[in-house]
Amino acid sequence: MAVPLSQMYTVTKYVLTQKLKGVQRYPLVLMLEPLFRCNLACAGCGKIQYPDHVLDRRLTPEQCWAAAEECGAPIVSIPGGEPLIHPDMATIVKGLVARKRYVYLCTNAILLERKLDEYEPSKYLTFSVHMDGLRDEHDLAVCRDGVYDIAVRAIKVALKRGHRVTTNTTLFDDANPERVRAFFDEMMALGVEGMMISPGYSYQKAPDQQHFLKRERTRELFSRILSRPKRSWQFNQSPLFLDFLMGRRDYQCTPWGNPTYNVFGWQKPCYLLQEGYAKTFKELMDTTPWDRYGSSKNEKCADCMVHCGYEASAVEDTFGTLSGFSRTVKLTLLPTSR
Amino acid sequence: MTDTKNHTGTVQPSLQGRRFTARSRQELIEAVDLAFDYRGDVTVELRTGEVLSGYLFNRDVHGAWLEIFPANQDEIRRLSYDEVVAIAFTGEDTASGKSWEQWVAKKESERRQEAARIAAEARARGHL
Repeated sequence: MAVPLSQMYTVTKYVLTQKLKGVQRYPLVLMLEPLFRCNLACAGCGKIQYPDHVLDRRLTPEQCWAAAEECGAPIVSIPGGEPLIHPDMATIVKGLVARKRYVYLCTNAILLERKLDEYEPSKYLTFSVHMDGLRDEHDLAVCRDGVYDIAVRAIKVALKRGHRVTTNTTLFDDANPERVRAFFDEMMALGVEGMMISPGYSYQKAPDQQHFLKRERTRELFSRILSRPKRSWQFNQSPLFLDFLMGRRDYQCTPWGNPTYNVFGWQKPCYLLQEGYAKTFKELMDTTPWDRYGSSKNEKCADCMVHCGYEASAVEDTFGTLSGFSRTVKLTLLPTSR
Repeated sequence: MTDTKNHTGTVQPSLQGRRFTARSRQELIEAVDLAFDYRGDVTVELRTGEVLSGYLFNRDVHGAWLEIFPANQDEIRRLSYDEVVAIAFTGEDTASGKSWEQWVAKKESERRQEAARIAAEARARGHL
């Protein structure tokens, strides 16, 4: 089982509590970006193109903890930028763990081995290592030779020290399904707890027909990758989200599911689109015109099938419908029955 | 997490070097929106004669206020649209030329040079 029972229990309890309270829109994962500075410059990455004085800004530990408390989500994902560049990252993580948040520290792992002494293994802390494929694909994706080998070595060391380690992988329509399947084999052979996959997000504005074809291509790609799953593969994400990627379930986006907080404030409306910033989480929830976003409602959302919009939809399906619940149970207990 | 990889196949012309003087409220709103989308510093000229350079990261979509991280100050500056006379795109457009297609289209030697430059910069900051 890719996600530990205690984490499943926490998320289940949280979602059911929100439902009992009648909360219509609730966050599931806080996307906490304490800095935008990175030690890689992956071609086309849309997250780090800022002037130096913006890249040099950092959220303080206190700001990070306040955001986690204000938001209340049981899971905190820390992307960036490269979080391990932040001089106070270990303090930030320690404070989040003390607040019993399940933290996914997303890293390219270049600095992981060097920084590992600063982190105590905990069921609340997972190093989510960015791996975009086998050596050739990954090093091409991050625009630097040797990064795949560094990351693999760091994963091994982190696992040896008792840390939870997962991988996170972004796939585009040029991915080779057989190579991706071989990559899954290799990651699981390393001993990672599970893998997270998502299609990439394209900003390109294009006519609706092209959008439709693009979504179809995404579904076709993920169907080819995820059909006939191997027994060894574990995914650290909702099985219904994987169904969605394969075109077996259809969802509307849940943009408030993964609210984003960074040096600019609370990002409207989601992790990918930047249409403005709110000073508080409440202001984000109260003033964002949520009905304007989603694949059928907004040109910028038309192609998007990214986890930060649809994983929360999948979780909502699990707890909101009998078919979703039974399918989740089935795929959790029998992942190869897909 | 690099899930915002921009696979756009077209190269948008950069606004770097352009300057907009608004002749109407609508033009001002449009200029601020362009500056909001711009991945570089802008220079805002105010009615008081003050000139403010920084990153315009937020604005009221109804045209009431805009917010800037000044290049040389820690504190955010919030300005009223009414204070703004002109906006110039003075800073480097940091997103220009950064698409995946443009990376792939480069010669192998150019890619290696660029990767080495980026690595050297990261190393100089102690990030490698």
